[in-house]
Amino acid sequence: MTITAGKQTTAPAVALSGVRKSFGDLRAVDGLDLELRQGETVALLGPNGAGKSTTLDLLLGLSRPTEGTVALFGGDPRDAIRLGRVGAMLQSGGLMPDVTVGEMVKLARDLHPRPLPQAQVLRRAGIEDLVGKNVAKLSGGQAQRVRFAVAIAGEVDLIVLDEPTTGMDVDSQQRFWGSMREQAELGRTVLFATHYLEEADNVADRVLVLHRGRLLADASAAQIKARAGLRRIAFDLTETVERYEPTLRALPGVVQLELGGNTVRIRSDDADETVAAIYAAGLRPRGLEVAGLGLEQAFLAITQQADEAEGMEIAS
Amino acid sequence: MRTLMRLEILRMLRNRRYLIFTLAYPVAMYLIFGSQSGDVDGTDVAAYVMVSMASFGAVGATLSAGVQRIAAERQSGWTRQLRLTTLTGRQYVISKLASAAVVGLPAIVLVLFTGFLRGVRLDPWQWGVLVIALWFGSFVFAVLGIGLGYLVAPDSAQPVFMLVYLGMAVLGGMWVPLTGFPRLLQDIGHVMPTYRFGQLGWEVLAGRHPRMSDIAILALYLVAFTALAAWRYRRDEQKVAA
Repeated sequence: MTITAGKQTTAPAVALSGVRKSFGDLRAVDGLDLELRQGETVALLGPNGAGKSTTLDLLLGLSRPTEGTVALFGGDPRDAIRLGRVGAMLQSGGLMPDVTVGEMVKLARDLHPRPLPQAQVLRRAGIEDLVGKNVAKLSGGQAQRVRFAVAIAGEVDLIVLDEPTTGMDVDSQQRFWGSMREQAELGRTVLFATHYLEEADNVADRVLVLHRGRLLADASAAQIKARAGLRRIAFDLTETVERYEPTLRALPGVVQLELGGNTVRIRSDDADETVAAIYAAGLRPRGLEVAGLGLEQAFLAITQQADEAEGMEIAS
Repeated sequence: MRTLMRLEILRMLRNRRYLIFTLAYPVAMYLIFGSQSGDVDGTDVAAYVMVSMASFGAVGATLSAGVQRIAAERQSGWTRQLRLTTLTGRQYVISKLASAAVVGLPAIVLVLFTGFLRGVRLDPWQWGVLVIALWFGSFVFAVLGIGLGYLVAPDSAQPVFMLVYLGMAVLGGMWVPLTGFPRLLQDIGHVMPTYRFGQLGWEVLAGRHPRMSDIAILALYLVAFTALAAWRYRRDEQKVAA
């Protein structure tokens, strides 16, 4: 890949092309192509073992792909790091032992070519009250916030975070994401890996769904929900519902039907039509509920589809 | 880089238990072994053992500064985080070397001072050259410690350190002079960096300056161990757990 000096500023913040990474027989990352534009906030979403951490290691130059190329801002990841353009917080990355939080942050700033003021870094990470504390004595959530401070100790263009809110209480999480949005508003590209689906939904402009080392979806959170495309309809009937099964199955839009006692649960890809048809069929539903699937179910639906497709491939 | 160097040294000094053990161990060994009388190759035993134990202490302090601390830092993930900063490998090694040197110096001076208190008398130049030669010489082991810190799995750092430390000390004639060893062990001993390191001081005791041949061999070891440290550091850069 060649990029002229003039184009440097518009180079994608992150570009992975045909990236594979194997550890022995295990394909942790299996043919990944993706590009993050500068200024985007992107969630890398996937269950444990999906290859999220490996992907982040590859794009930070901590490990080299078995195949394919990785570029940050159009160049080698190591160069971007050497120039202080990247702030990162990895699950496997730690803090210096035997120092205080204040010293740790000061060190991170000292190692950065464009450090931010100490007070500002402490405030953004919400750790003003921890300054004198030994890093070994921090709780999991506190340590996470200190590691975040280390990642944002200088002027960076790209922030990479691997499951940043692990161990944080709800209050800290909210503060953390507030601070994260602040970073995004400053024009920084933010990439975070998470399996908290809510986080991806709330924070990211764009969600990448990773499963078994492959990219299953690359869209906005809303689009991902739409892609799973389903709504949940639930209601009760006054008598056992089994006898209505043929009627219910014939309703428009029904993808999945679950019957239990007096309760009917439907997954529909056209909830409006389904509900209208329920009444048209002469049924008298009670306690009717219609709900979106939420990113979690959408995500499960997508990964299940992928697993099933794979199963069929193997079977055929 | 300044903050890193300062913190590396501070952390060393804060770790009281480690510091006391590292500094007290060679002094205790000296008090045990240095009480014999007589002479070794024409040198007074008390003075000979003093230099041996000062060297022994310097090797232990500088080696453990690398092996055990780096192993702990790898375990905590600190070395990984550090690689995501603008710090270069060379700066890293230099700051590690500085912190090793900070414990190496008192390890040497304490044993020499104990020797002085017990009546060892040398010319002023001998004391001066001893301190400088042993201090600079100990950098060889500081660099070996860095290499080993990356070479061994974090949980085996302690046994590997003890094995390498005591093995090199015994084979290098720091506990018992090589002249008392069988031929084969003497030949092995002569190539040990610990022997060449001890030689720096033993020569001074004999009223001579450290020999160029010993310095040259130590310099070769320094280069070799630096290469080992750099190689392991780079490898660790690329190795990632699945």
